[in-house]
Amino acid sequence: MRGTAARAVLLAAVAAALLALPLWTSSYWTRIATGALMWAGLACSWNIVGGYAGYVNFGHAAFFGVGAYSTAILMGYDHEWPFFLTLPVGLAVAAALAAAIGAPTLRLRGAYFAIATWAFAEVLFELATLLDVTGGTGGLSLPPLLDERFFYYTMLAAAAGTYALAYVLLERARFGYRLKALRDNEVAAETMGIDTTRVKVQAFALSAALAALFGSIYAYWVTFIDPPSVMGGDLTDQMVVMVLLGGLGHPWGPALGAAALYLVNRFFWATWGDTAAYIALLGIAIGAVVLFLPDGLVSLGSGRRRRGALRALIGKLW
Amino acid sequence: MDLFLQTAINGLLIGGVFAAFSLGFQLAFGVLHVVDFAVGGWVMLGGYAGYWGSTLLGVDPFLLLPATFALFAATGYLLGPLVYRVRATRYARPALMTLAFTFGLFLVMRGGALTFWGFDTRAVSTVASGENIRIGPVVVPLLRLIAFLFAAALALGLFAVLYRTRLGLAIRATAQSREYAGLMGVDVKRLSALVYALYTGLTGVAGVLMAAIYSVTPETGLRYTLFAFFVAVLAGLGSVGGVLAAALFLGVLEAMVAVYVGSSYSHLVVFGTLYLVLLLSPQGILRRGAIAES
Amino acid sequence: MAHGITRRKFLARSGLAAGAAAGLTAPSARGGEAPVLRVGVVTSLSGKDVLGGNLTKRGYDFWAETVNAAGGVEVGGRRVRVQMFYGDDQSTPSAGADAAERLIVQEKVDAIFGPYTSGSTIAVSPICDKYRVPMIAGSAESPNVWKRRPTYTFGMIPAVDLTAGKSLAVIVEQANPKPRSAAVIGVNEPFSKETAEGFQKGARDIKLEVARYDLIPARADLAPVVSSVASANPDIVAVGGHEEVLINFVKASKALGYRPKALIMHYGVTVPAFAEQLGKDADGTLGITVWTPDVPYKDEVFGTAQQYDQASFKRWGTHPDYTEAACSASGLVLAAAIRKLGKLPPYSPEDRQALNAAIEDASLTTFYGPVRFAKSGDHHHCNIEPVPVLIQIRGGQQLTVGPQDAKKTDMVYPLPAWT
Repeated sequence: MRGTAARAVLLAAVAAALLALPLWTSSYWTRIATGALMWAGLACSWNIVGGYAGYVNFGHAAFFGVGAYSTAILMGYDHEWPFFLTLPVGLAVAAALAAAIGAPTLRLRGAYFAIATWAFAEVLFELATLLDVTGGTGGLSLPPLLDERFFYYTMLAAAAGTYALAYVLLERARFGYRLKALRDNEVAAETMGIDTTRVKVQAFALSAALAALFGSIYAYWVTFIDPPSVMGGDLTDQMVVMVLLGGLGHPWGPALGAAALYLVNRFFWATWGDTAAYIALLGIAIGAVVLFLPDGLVSLGSGRRRRGALRALIGKLW
Repeated sequence: MDLFLQTAINGLLIGGVFAAFSLGFQLAFGVLHVVDFAVGGWVMLGGYAGYWGSTLLGVDPFLLLPATFALFAATGYLLGPLVYRVRATRYARPALMTLAFTFGLFLVMRGGALTFWGFDTRAVSTVASGENIRIGPVVVPLLRLIAFLFAAALALGLFAVLYRTRLGLAIRATAQSREYAGLMGVDVKRLSALVYALYTGLTGVAGVLMAAIYSVTPETGLRYTLFAFFVAVLAGLGSVGGVLAAALFLGVLEAMVAVYVGSSYSHLVVFGTLYLVLLLSPQGILRRGAIAES
Repeated sequence: MAHGITRRKFLARSGLAAGAAAGLTAPSARGGEAPVLRVGVVTSLSGKDVLGGNLTKRGYDFWAETVNAAGGVEVGGRRVRVQMFYGDDQSTPSAGADAAERLIVQEKVDAIFGPYTSGSTIAVSPICDKYRVPMIAGSAESPNVWKRRPTYTFGMIPAVDLTAGKSLAVIVEQANPKPRSAAVIGVNEPFSKETAEGFQKGARDIKLEVARYDLIPARADLAPVVSSVASANPDIVAVGGHEEVLINFVKASKALGYRPKALIMHYGVTVPAFAEQLGKDADGTLGITVWTPDVPYKDEVFGTAQQYDQASFKRWGTHPDYTEAACSASGLVLAAAIRKLGKLPPYSPEDRQALNAAIEDASLTTFYGPVRFAKSGDHHHCNIEPVPVLIQIRGGQQLTVGPQDAKKTDMVYPLPAWT
């Protein structure tokens, strides 16, 4: 009981701090916080399939791009839709696309699934560079709305909604148990009467739709998108690394990983922006996490696990 | 017709070079069950080794190939156990962890190259650079021909090792079952380090060839990782035999699309094909036995 | 509504700053403390465009150093020193927007010098409009920057659709026998694609037959492309791309034993690495530039183009190309506008609006050439005055071979076969 109360207080404190943030920081820091929220949400959306279902999606940026392009095209000069009307379109297109490719693609496992999703994302990327409707490699511009607070609160709502939804569906509902069951042993899950294909495709579509949501907001926020900035493979890489850093398959680990990586990144860049050494440092950090902290930053929280990680660290150094 | 022949030659020759850096990757996957994201990083570093070797020593990069192989194999031999350890951990998702680990390795290579050598494009020049042989209407670039022959020789050599030596027997046994190979007296740890060394050595050498044909920048790595994945999947992950055919297919496909459909569609077609191959014949590929458990 | 809040808050803060500055200037009028002009630079200091990013940074810095060495910019009898602040766009547009916001809000810069890439410039320009901070872009060449008709953004280099096409006409003018056909290859990326489109349009304008037009992915093998160009056998081959692709294109065509009568490429031929890495194979390649040390212009800060070239070489160890020169000239434009404004920094948003109007009306001649920004049409706020010149690499040097009134030597045409 005490644990629950403490958790509720902590949650309320975090929520209050996040809600009040733009009131006392400059618009620059509001902007940085908006970026951190976006990555936290994206990492969570990747975690649904990558962490809970155990399928490593290496093409997740494609769905982020689908959302971004939906909003950019519909808000553009030909259509001039209001922003909030474009959100459901992006969500629906991404979910439909994921459902369509999900069934055949999710038959593949492990490295095959990873490479297939990567190839699929590259196909979408190439299409975006070739089509007229996406503006090709020249990208698309959106009518600018110059209000950091609007984007901060929109992003906050989207990220909070994503985490709440993921928590309820994956930690508190049968859906989550089915997903974890098939992750741990797909054959056994099937024998237990779980329609694994259906569950997997549902999770895949959910994860894609959430990524698209953030893509839509991103496009309106930055006002200029092109294929590398919304569909580039390095976006996916960053999500994967954030989830691993925070804690794979953990309900709020990805937020921790995303915030840590994004803020450290921006700090390095603002300080030592003129060298490329931070890329190598990032690589070393990833290697260190894999070797010494495979359960992510969240595993530092509990004392027992912390001692375990320390022991493992010492053991490995020997 | 002349253009068709020329395009076929262009595609076959470049396919041979794709094979050179896919062979080692495939071997590492087949034996160690490691999907190495850093494969393009090794190609890139190989290119720089060729550039600095020839610039600082004033020697033709071709003469430096054995030394490059030794250097990269030695590095791989030292690094291999670390990768193997991640792969063989008792943690929940070793395959994913290995992928993440090699991705980190790739970033270290890329960031290191950027820090030490900057963003400049470097071209590696050899005796064969710019030379060609004319056979009727067809022009055969000498450098690409040499690279192709070299890759073919490597493939044959690798087959000879795998099927004609005791080491090859041990490697094949380990690929089938680490446990049984261990029971039969194979030192699996040492063998894994050796295989990883063989892989990095081959890939580094392929990198010198790639840099001589094209040029090298720290950003070149990723595209070679993609191509290695493509070739490996098409060949059937873990199957060394299919590599040469798959690499030649990739080379010809890209060249034909570039000439007859439009260059801007070449990557669309290449990745579309890869995706469809994975979807349509997962059974055929999976039957090869190398299933990566996630 | 929320927009109003930000602006009001900003006004209040700027007012405060202005008040503080007024308080500072009062004693400084007696003590002689110089007021400071705060200028932000947003450019690629990391990521794939770091090479070009540093080129722009050098150009901007060189202006600031030169001006400060002379005591600062003279405004109404006072000397204003220049202080530079840097923001890295990490070679991505969104990080460029972040950086601009940081420079404006945290460092309180009065003006911004723009990014290396056009993509970043497009992302930064709404931020400049939002805070009413003028930005002078010394590098952006894509026409897309100007089609959006930005209010607070100005470009020093004529958009590439204006320069690339004209260059083919210059080749035809100089060549003998007259070329009849051309093939155009462009990398499918923002700036290079527009370069290729410029080449294609230029070829059509002067009735050259376009034997092949092809966009290629940045990562493609060039041998098939070269083979197909060779089989079409045009007189001129025009390539739009950056230096890595240009180097690979020359290597692939030599390996296949193919040499067109003329080979023109843009952008990257004027970058020193091009001639260095290709050695003698670079010889004969044509490039486009809007500035060389030979141009007959001068100003009071840098002297003649020749003197600028020498001084810049002394400072950085390499000769400046036109992008670097345009970046240095950006500072001259800003200084002229401040002089016209006649107020000491720091500036309120209203001051900056007036400063922006002064830049818009700028009409001056610098070592880089004449500067006047278009006020209408598809090239709104782009300096379309400079005339492109054609250069050819010979023995590692860039020699001006056209147009007729600028040329220093004859163009080699047709190019000899590879040896």
